[in-house]
Amino acid sequence: MINIDIGATAIAILTLFGIYSLMAISLNLEYGIAGVPNFGQALFVSIGAYTAGITYTRVLPLLAGLDSVHPCGPTMGQALQLRSEIMAAQPAAGFINLALTLLVAAIVSGAVGFTVSYVTLRLKEEWFLALVLLVGGETVRIVVRGADNLICSHNGISGVAQPFYFLGDARSSSLMFMILCVALALIAYAYSQRLTRSPFGRMLKALRENEDVTRGLGKGISLARAQIMLIGSAIAAVGGVLFALNTGFVNTNDFVVNLTLDIWVMVVLGGIGNNRGALLGAALIAILDRFTQVAAITLNMSGSEIEFNYVRFIAFGIILLLMLRYRPGGLLPESPLTTNAHEVLRRARGAEPLSRRA
Amino acid sequence: MPPALLTTSLVNTIQIGSLYALMALGITLTFSVMKLPNFAHADYVSAGAYAALIVSLSGVLNPFVIMAAAFIVGALAALISHLFVFKPLEGRDVSLYTLILSSFAVGLIIRYILFLMADYFNLFDLRIAIPLRILFREGSLILSNLFAWVVPTSIVLVIALTLLLNRTPLGREMRALANNTSLARVIGIPVERVKNHAWLLVGGLAGVAGALWGMQTAVSPLMGWAAVLSVFAAAILGGLSSFTGTILGAYVVAFSEHTVMLFLNFNFGVDLAYKPAIPFIIIIAVLLIRPRGLTQLIKRGGELQR
Repeated sequence: MINIDIGATAIAILTLFGIYSLMAISLNLEYGIAGVPNFGQALFVSIGAYTAGITYTRVLPLLAGLDSVHPCGPTMGQALQLRSEIMAAQPAAGFINLALTLLVAAIVSGAVGFTVSYVTLRLKEEWFLALVLLVGGETVRIVVRGADNLICSHNGISGVAQPFYFLGDARSSSLMFMILCVALALIAYAYSQRLTRSPFGRMLKALRENEDVTRGLGKGISLARAQIMLIGSAIAAVGGVLFALNTGFVNTNDFVVNLTLDIWVMVVLGGIGNNRGALLGAALIAILDRFTQVAAITLNMSGSEIEFNYVRFIAFGIILLLMLRYRPGGLLPESPLTTNAHEVLRRARGAEPLSRRA
Repeated sequence: MPPALLTTSLVNTIQIGSLYALMALGITLTFSVMKLPNFAHADYVSAGAYAALIVSLSGVLNPFVIMAAAFIVGALAALISHLFVFKPLEGRDVSLYTLILSSFAVGLIIRYILFLMADYFNLFDLRIAIPLRILFREGSLILSNLFAWVVPTSIVLVIALTLLLNRTPLGREMRALANNTSLARVIGIPVERVKNHAWLLVGGLAGVAGALWGMQTAVSPLMGWAAVLSVFAAAILGGLSSFTGTILGAYVVAFSEHTVMLFLNFNFGVDLAYKPAIPFIIIIAVLLIRPRGLTQLIKRGGELQR
């Protein structure tokens, strides 16, 4: 048996929870609230990660006042060392770079999401959108993998350090990074709660339920879809930046359809259309992921023949099937939407207040 | 592009295109009769390939026996996923996305069960070793008996499926289901039984495709999944409804992946690493520009037709 460091495990799980929450909240806004079947989540997450790969190798040295070294090929080791020296010695450059990365990733990904939803307006059947997004994600992945000068094609870029690397002590730097991830996730959660309860959010839910009626009420549905894709994609890209910082490298192999499915599992498990559900789903999957890692290592060390990492995917498939069949609403089903005015009115009539979960 | 390269790539096109046709017909049939875009289809292919591999490793090298085993395993995988996953969901009248998601989940489960099995028994990247003979040699072009197995078998199966669909009572019932399920039920077609038969047929053909595929390349748990989008591209070129369109689509996809890609590589220096992007571009272009696929060019699209 290996010793399990409880503190480190908790930090790792909470970091994953923050990152997964951003991805799940994004999909929940798009599919859960607005009904846009985004089977290309991996694309928007990967835009964040690729941005991090590019800024960390090109922009970071400039911010530190040094010449950048080409990150791929023979100078790969040199570039990696340059990155870690800057991250260790110049925290300000690291933070400005992170802020820039988050901003650029959110803008690029949002723009892609916005554009995609307009391009796909012509599609004849609704589920074609799911297929186009799925396939679009894979296309971008293959193009990036083939393009040598973006993130070193199939080798990827390693040494994408966390912004608190300068603290030196691994424990405190990962603790600070965890706080950053969870904080960003909670901001995204608060924002999406607000958005869900706003008139715009209610319009999106109407759109999800019946497109024709919503159009009949004079709402511009194409623009609304494009806007929610913009917001959702931007949040997913922020998750992607943190994902790259957490693993420490950017590789196209991480952004396959399986990642999209993982995010769907979180949303279906937590509760489609419920932001709290997205958080719960992300937390459960983060715990499950960490558990599989530990179990796989433990089994491997005890000389077992079974590769436990495969069991993770089987478990994910079974969870998805069981949820879809027996609890299609998820663990925390969506509840009726209430506004403050609605609550005041109900109370004035002497009725029970509705549940405030939404 | 030198002519020798051209002929080799055309041979590849025919060989791969025939396999794509076999798989894509299954997807078209599932979509028309069961109203389900089944992403687990690819994993019936892998399951069939593993069944064939295990039979061949046990010493039986008769291709007919190998294909029969693959047919049975593929058919069972399809029937089980219908009975335990898709049928209960259809009964609840869920959204199409729920069905798509559950087909992904079914595929995931089959794929990683194969991974576990392959890992435990060390069955990665083995070929189904039917004895190889060279039938024809002309310069750099070599045709082995593999070509003679893969291409005629696929074509015979495709023709048999088309005949079954157009000339037998079962085929008529399936087409009735494809056209209007409620109406088919009203006029007394045993809907559930027809569906079960359709699933067995679809899964079995996928399994045979896996066996044929495994004879020419190595068998791996990812082999079907790696081809799923090419196969979907073929089915979408057929408008997901027409058999002729799907078969043509399969050869179009194979042609662009092999011949066109080599041509671009040779004449314009396009890296071969971009090859997997070709079916994706086909899917996006067809869905955006001509969502009924090639059928629109041939005749009126719509219902399942010959």
